[in-house]
Amino acid sequence: MESRILRPTLGLYAAAFLLFLYGPMIVLTILSFQGPEGGPQFPVQDWSLYWYKQLLGLSEASRVAQLPVGDSLLRSITLAFMTTVVSTVLGVMSAEAFRTRFKGSGPAFYLIILGMMVPGVLVGLGMALLSSTLGISRAWWGTSFVLHVVYTYPFAFLVMLAIFNRFDRTVEEAALSLGVSPAQTFRRVTFPIIFPGVLSAMLFSFTLSYDEFARTLFTAGRDLTLPLAIYGTFSVEIHPNIFAFGVLTTLFSFTLLVIYGLLMKRFTNRAARFAGQEDNG
Amino acid sequence: MQHDLELISVGKTYSDGTVAVSNFDLKVAKGEFVAFLGPSGCGKSTTLRMIAGFEDITEGEVMMMGRNVTHLPPEKRPTSMIFQNYALFPHMTVRQNVAFGLDVKGMAKAERNRKVDRILDMFDLEPYADRKADRLSGGQRQRIALARGLVVEPEILLLDEPLGALDANLRRIIQNELKLLQRELGITFVFVTHAQSEALGLSDRVVVMSNGVVEQISPPRELYRRPATPFVADFIGSNTILRGRSVGTDGPAFGRIDTAVGLIDGVGPAGATMAVIPAEAFRIQPQHTPGEVHLPGTLSARRLVGAVGHLKVRLADDTEIAVEIGADRPEVRALQIGAPVTLGVDPASVTLIQA
Repeated sequence: MESRILRPTLGLYAAAFLLFLYGPMIVLTILSFQGPEGGPQFPVQDWSLYWYKQLLGLSEASRVAQLPVGDSLLRSITLAFMTTVVSTVLGVMSAEAFRTRFKGSGPAFYLIILGMMVPGVLVGLGMALLSSTLGISRAWWGTSFVLHVVYTYPFAFLVMLAIFNRFDRTVEEAALSLGVSPAQTFRRVTFPIIFPGVLSAMLFSFTLSYDEFARTLFTAGRDLTLPLAIYGTFSVEIHPNIFAFGVLTTLFSFTLLVIYGLLMKRFTNRAARFAGQEDNG
Repeated sequence: MQHDLELISVGKTYSDGTVAVSNFDLKVAKGEFVAFLGPSGCGKSTTLRMIAGFEDITEGEVMMMGRNVTHLPPEKRPTSMIFQNYALFPHMTVRQNVAFGLDVKGMAKAERNRKVDRILDMFDLEPYADRKADRLSGGQRQRIALARGLVVEPEILLLDEPLGALDANLRRIIQNELKLLQRELGITFVFVTHAQSEALGLSDRVVVMSNGVVEQISPPRELYRRPATPFVADFIGSNTILRGRSVGTDGPAFGRIDTAVGLIDGVGPAGATMAVIPAEAFRIQPQHTPGEVHLPGTLSARRLVGAVGHLKVRLADDTEIAVEIGADRPEVRALQIGAPVTLGVDPASVTLIQA
């Protein structure tokens, strides 16, 4: 009786969920194949790869200016990469520190978490004011970079905290008692075991930084990052080349996810073995 | 004489003031097998972890081979620890696990392989050398852990409930292996367990602990025969404990106390107030024998398990005591529930202690 109502309801919910999740992307993808004369809306005039060619500068004499994304794409990837490295290293180190309770660990925890709680626009604006007060010029690799780290580091930290929470300390103790130094123990025992977590922390940091908008808006200075550059083109006029670009970046992100998934699979097999170590004795 | 391991009034107080262990004194000779025995939370594991260097020592000192190691980190101590959950490295094969300690120390490959091969052979592990530890049984995993801990040639091997995760059969097998191994290698073993049979069956000496305090340090037999404290009398074996008051001595070693069920003679200091009688020291006494302790009562329960009869006898003051006795004796077989019995005990097997 119950399932006769519950099942269709849940099915409907799931369908709606998927529709709203993928609908925008599907619409974008379809419109990216718009013909040269078509606009950024239905109907599709005729199917072509025109806007992809236009985007890559392969079509001659277009009525639409080329999308100014080349440099900003490079900037965004560089920035995301820098942020990933710094946030993940910080996240691993501080989560390691939080494995033992230390004086002031409570306040320190909330201070770290604050970075992802405070509204981005406010922090961005604050940073802009601060830098102009101090006479520091704003740049994506400076002021924005700092804010990206402040924003993504808590995510990396929380991921690593969860990983260490389930970490069996005796494995490290076993290494130490064999006469292995703490540094070597971390490198050869701890790190290989926590690596899936590190990978997740990196993925979080990268994607959050890659499409960060609010904090970057006020702090990037003259050279724009990708989200800012795209938004800049919106405010003039929208052409289907932006959709083509959207499809390409989605494919890029998807590739990252696949790499992540493959690496993760290799290591979770290992982790499953590790977890199985305690039972069936 | 130099000891392999020496604990001098070692204690541990946590920063919140909780005392985990206090005044732990122990001298362990080279090649000795010492067990720490006690209920969970008694401080035995904490003490072992202080010896290993995983816990700070807040009072006292630990010496190893005559060297003060109190404040040395675990990797600088001549110890190796074996854990209950094996603590194998999940990302390494059996061989890599065993070779790890030597590998990190930068031992030449040829020598390392020789040592690893020898120890794998010793523990019958070569067939699994290139497998990950996950497909192996608990017993095999604990053998890997032992091989890994012993290949670095520690002076002292610390074992923290190493058999706790194994089933009874395997536990017995590995127990025997451990004993043989220890004799063969001549390495000092310090073994933590809450299982009496393990401590008493394996070790040369047992340290009984309760509430962070050492109750008694004795060879296993001595623990049975001469418990030193009420806790040990209650914890080890199956003893009858009768309280009373001291009524003087009878000879240099013997004392006498007056209990609710009569006068009891036994071995112990003057002023003792408690008589401890092992369940297997009782005899069913058809007639009065001079010099023996006599306890009249009635049989309240009888259970024969193989060759051993487990009897319950209710004494005059209503205390019920456990008696273990050979079941093939005719006087035991003839006993009926409710029948009056007189128990006799040789005073030499009665221990008097101060409560």
